[in-house]
Amino acid sequence: MLDQEYWNPVLETLPREKLKVLQFKKFKQILTWAYTRSKFHKALYDKAGLTPDDIRSFDDIKKIPKVEKSMMREIQNKDPFPYGDALCVPLEEVSVFRQTSGTTGQPVYQPDTWQDWEWWSECWSFILWAQGYRPSDRVFLPFGYNIFVAFWAGHYAAEKLGCEVVPGGVLDTQSRILKIMELKATAMMATPTYVLNMADVAKSKMGIDPATLSINKITCAGEPGAGIPSTKRRMEEAWGAKVFDHSGATEIGAWSYECRKQPCGMHVNEAMFLVEIEDLETGEIIEEPGRKGKMVITALDRIAQPCIRFDSKDIIEWDSESCSCGRSFRLIRGGVLGRADDITKVKGVLISPAAIEEVVRSIDGLGDEFEVVVDKQGDVDRIKLKVELLPEITQISVENRLKDQLRLKTNLGYQIEYYNYGSLPRYEAKAKRFKDLRKKDTAQKEGRP
Amino acid sequence: MKTVLDLNQLNDNILKVKALLIELEASASSFPALSRNSKRALASVKMMELNLCDLVTLGLTDHPLSSNP
Ligand SMILES: [Zn+2]
Repeated sequence: MLDQEYWNPVLETLPREKLKVLQFKKFKQILTWAYTRSKFHKALYDKAGLTPDDIRSFDDIKKIPKVEKSMMREIQNKDPFPYGDALCVPLEEVSVFRQTSGTTGQPVYQPDTWQDWEWWSECWSFILWAQGYRPSDRVFLPFGYNIFVAFWAGHYAAEKLGCEVVPGGVLDTQSRILKIMELKATAMMATPTYVLNMADVAKSKMGIDPATLSINKITCAGEPGAGIPSTKRRMEEAWGAKVFDHSGATEIGAWSYECRKQPCGMHVNEAMFLVEIEDLETGEIIEEPGRKGKMVITALDRIAQPCIRFDSKDIIEWDSESCSCGRSFRLIRGGVLGRADDITKVKGVLISPAAIEEVVRSIDGLGDEFEVVVDKQGDVDRIKLKVELLPEITQISVENRLKDQLRLKTNLGYQIEYYNYGSLPRYEAKAKRFKDLRKKDTAQKEGRP
Repeated sequence: MKTVLDLNQLNDNILKVKALLIELEASASSFPALSRNSKRALASVKMMELNLCDLVTLGLTDHPLSSNP
């Protein structure tokens, strides 16, 4: 069993036409469930003049209205308290509460039944098994165990697989590193930002080379970093471990994963989720590889507060290649490429923070941290990039290469500021490295808060 | 060598376990330790259904690993 590549040898290799049959059946099932049990969903579909019976083919799915996070915020804090009308089960069936982080506005509450929670860890089991987690692994989880879903389901999935799980909750970074060393942990789950931060603390404050520790695989989530080649390389070199990407969200579930073949992308778990990619401008559903769009996603089996055609704002694109691991689940190229909210125009050029990260981390003399600030000088956009020089590295040795690469990869000229190593902010979970001050400037000029 | 699986037999066994747990949960309603553990076990059984039974129901199991026609 342990040499088995797949968590589910049937589903993960199911021919695509059969996967579509399965997805369609499950989509209709969850749609009917929500329509008959949630006032929110019924009103949404009634307004569009649709009932589940109107969805007769796969092509009809796109007729179903999307759900935005803002809609969930509006219905919450009402009865059944605090979830409101999207709740599809009696309140006493809810056994788990989580909430979104609130980085894009008021947090959204997420109720789950025990079955939903089993489903969360089932989705994570696909991920961990594909990344080589096995019962012999001792898995260290250095995250704050609290109201945010983060790696909670990873914890339960690792237990389900038979791994030994070490919850590294309320410990500081140095204590976590010592615990990894003391217990000879073999695997770890964290955000890319924290993986790099831990390595930095180990080296600079403790004199420990993390590559000499026993960690041989790391699962990342929460940020695109593990899908950005230069960031992945930095993490792998720092820890002497394989680093795998995964993507999930509180309102959605754990929907994609990189396998052991590391195909520069992630498999969508198409047995549990239906992923559609929508053109950012026309709203058309993109089927072909190589065209970026916004992900609209359905969790096919989540029942307490269903996630049906959720407008995730994640930017992804289908890969033209299939994976040598043999999974029939489609790949998204480079993982999650960014957020629609973060992709902005500067001097008329579309930029994504991930593209800047790829450049900064590909330059060997620069530290891991950086910051991008966009503002206006008069009426003209200005983009400032703050980077750190590693000890004993001079500005002149990296300057030309950095400027050239930025120009090549992002089509923009930057005002670059160089800082001493350790000067820029460090983050323990998701980093906030991109600041667009233009909206704030406009609001201030117009006297808005 | 790949192990051949009798997917229909696996499916039948999952459904048998489910039926037993439903019965146990219902009949032990005055015995919280049994009824709540049954309910919890049913959530695990549901995961086995998602992993296999939906495929069998839809007749999608003519798979290289399957011994079923
Ligand atoms: Zn693969």
